[in-house]
Amino acid sequence: MTEFGQGLATALQPANLAALLGGSVLGVFAGAVPGLSSTVGLALVLPVTFALEPTPALLMMISIYMAAEYGGSITAIAIGVPGSSPALATTFDGYAMTRRGEAGRAFGISLFASMSGGILGTLLLVAALGPLSRAAIAFGPPEYFGLGVFGLAIVANLVGSDPLKGIISALLGLLAFIVGLDVLTGAPRLTLGTTVLMDGLGLVPMLIGFFAIAEALNGVAGRRENVEGAAGMRGALPAFRALFRLWRPILRGSAIGGVIGAIPGAGATIASIVAWNEERRVSRTPERFGSGEPAGIAAPEAANNACVGAAMIPLLALGIPGSASAAVLLGGLTVQGVAPGPLLMTEQASLVYALYAGFIVAVVFMLGVGRLGIPLWVRVVSLPPRILMPLVVGVSLIGAFVLRGNLADAWFALFFGLAGFLMLRRGYPLAPAVLGLILGPMVETNYRRALALSSGSHTVFLESPIALVLLLLAAASFAAPALRSRLRSGRATG
Amino acid sequence: MPAAPKGPVTSHRVAARRAWASLLVTALLSACGSSPDEAAFPSRPIEIVSWATPGGPSDLLARALADAAPEHFGGQRVTVMTRQGGAGAAGMQYLKGRAGDPYVLGVFTASGTVNMATGRIPFAPGDFTPILRIQIDPFLVAVREESPFRTLADLIEAARARPGEVSMSGFGAASAHFLGFQRLRAAAGDPDIRWIAYEGSGDAVVAALGGHTDAAHTNYNIVREHLRAGTMRVLAVALPLTALRDTPTYLDEGYDLTPVHWRGVVGPPGLSPEVRADLRERLLATIRTAGFQEYMARAAMEYAVMDDSDAFGAWIAEEVETSRALLGRLGLLMNE
Repeated sequence: MTEFGQGLATALQPANLAALLGGSVLGVFAGAVPGLSSTVGLALVLPVTFALEPTPALLMMISIYMAAEYGGSITAIAIGVPGSSPALATTFDGYAMTRRGEAGRAFGISLFASMSGGILGTLLLVAALGPLSRAAIAFGPPEYFGLGVFGLAIVANLVGSDPLKGIISALLGLLAFIVGLDVLTGAPRLTLGTTVLMDGLGLVPMLIGFFAIAEALNGVAGRRENVEGAAGMRGALPAFRALFRLWRPILRGSAIGGVIGAIPGAGATIASIVAWNEERRVSRTPERFGSGEPAGIAAPEAANNACVGAAMIPLLALGIPGSASAAVLLGGLTVQGVAPGPLLMTEQASLVYALYAGFIVAVVFMLGVGRLGIPLWVRVVSLPPRILMPLVVGVSLIGAFVLRGNLADAWFALFFGLAGFLMLRRGYPLAPAVLGLILGPMVETNYRRALALSSGSHTVFLESPIALVLLLLAAASFAAPALRSRLRSGRATG
Repeated sequence: MPAAPKGPVTSHRVAARRAWASLLVTALLSACGSSPDEAAFPSRPIEIVSWATPGGPSDLLARALADAAPEHFGGQRVTVMTRQGGAGAAGMQYLKGRAGDPYVLGVFTASGTVNMATGRIPFAPGDFTPILRIQIDPFLVAVREESPFRTLADLIEAARARPGEVSMSGFGAASAHFLGFQRLRAAAGDPDIRWIAYEGSGDAVVAALGGHTDAAHTNYNIVREHLRAGTMRVLAVALPLTALRDTPTYLDEGYDLTPVHWRGVVGPPGLSPEVRADLRERLLATIRTAGFQEYMARAAMEYAVMDDSDAFGAWIAEEVETSRALLGRLGLLMNE
């Protein structure tokens, strides 16, 4: 405990506090702007950290990482565009609540859940950094395959009224992921002989295209439901008692985020979608999910912030970056001469404790910055769509370009925007396609890797207990909606 | 209480040094104002194009250069310009398009030559002006502590005894890492070792650490901490490294080859020999600064400076040819 006290004292030194505060502001911004994400935010400050001492440099980076996971929910709730991919699941209920005129309530739930998830993820980091870190490497190709299939099975719960359209949407996402260089052979696939398509179409252009551009086109076509005007907007924050009543979804979401976040390569987007789905599964009123259910905001937001602390476990204990953001963080650590690995805890204990304390302070700053921002977001929401949407599209396209400094990404976003618009008009849901693009590579490469390692024998997927459990859960999850409706209609007629 | 931060002191000192340097340079420039255009280089900020993964080794090299360069580039700002996409093609296209412009540089690596060799990207060594090679990063073969293999010979013996059952994880397919491994395999008489490609070097090491693959083909900086902690062992390394004094080299193991990853700086095409020599001198001074040396040590990189620009150009061309021959032998050339 004295070590933690010393860590806290370090984190509270003026220079470190300034770094944490600066990181929180930048993080919320990077998270909220579509196209920018925690990864971009971290990459932007990487040169700045060169000039800093290790402690403030690292505190600034973790505070960006933490705040960006919350920031993504702001745009998700305000306009239905995920500010960064881990906020995708938050659009389902968050934006629905905004359309009901309860944006303030949604923002409050998201902020509270993000804060709780951030703290619980940090506690997990503190508890697990030593003993459990090696569990992260138990995930081999068969286990990743199982996790990917489990994630894809969620499509069945995202599809809405017409399951066939949902599945077609997921397949389109899977088709989009194939574009690019094959990881396992290096051969280009569906690149049409150009280098432009060599690194794939990309998740960010798809998110921007589907959620910002397609929605804007929908608005032009007069099909977008208008958000209530400023007069009807209830910006009121929920009471604390109402927030504490959400402790169950927050705990479940944090647990899911903690486990999935600690698995290298799985990431916050998958964690938050799984958390949303799980909440819906255990709910007594699953039909209300997607139409503004508080638990549908709390669970994914708790999950994606819990991922931040959890992702630090493989990073600090094994030197393994578990996400794109963690990879940039590893670069920052390297430059500072901090070598994460099995010896970090013994050799640089004071820095590790300062990081622990820094996470807690970062969560507090995130809460403060987030709280101060809410009235502003509520006012943004009440802007007329004819002003708001072009603004969003413009900012998004710039965001798409900044990510890789590549103009092609802006074109991809426009392409996805048009495709998404056509899909929306014909009643195809967009979320399954995003899930396909995210999970396709995980499923395909790990399937092929597992078979390469087992000399082509499929029993490898059944021999691994983790993979087997995940595949069984996937089957159950995929079948659940059909079974439920069969059951219900059986009851109705019987 | 942890020691008081010594940060402000050092950063003030650096800032003061930089301010003095730029003041001095300005004074010198105004003193010899006869031909302003020539004397003025550099008169505006310099860009270093980075087409590598943010935070990865090549990106860090670009950023370390940008950080150390200003005092040797007349106090001008040196910025890293991110241009990702198309397996490096986007960044290379940008650099190539700035022909004759000494204000833009690029970090060029073994990956670039391999991508040229495969035909994946439409560039040739002649599309850029070689300036200097800075570092090499020898390949090595590492296993987890529990592995039955004690030597490289053990691993190769096992692969001969059980063809196709020994697996090696590494970064990418038809990548510099892959070709480094293939050169070793060819020298060992082509034992059937299965290459399992991963998205990054870190992922490939995790696969070996978790026992999912038998060994990883990677670089020292990726496994350094696991070696210190004793959770991994290096069976053999391509070139002797000071940090791996007791580890046998490929040559010790009877294979006369030294596959390495390397990184250097190139400029756009069409730089005159004088401009190139000037840039080389400035970059040489840059990589000798204390700040850059500190980065090299922290990133566990070895200096392997090749400051004869023509020799560096010949090295690049040779790497492309060696890679192409090897890819051809493996049936992996794209345009055939």
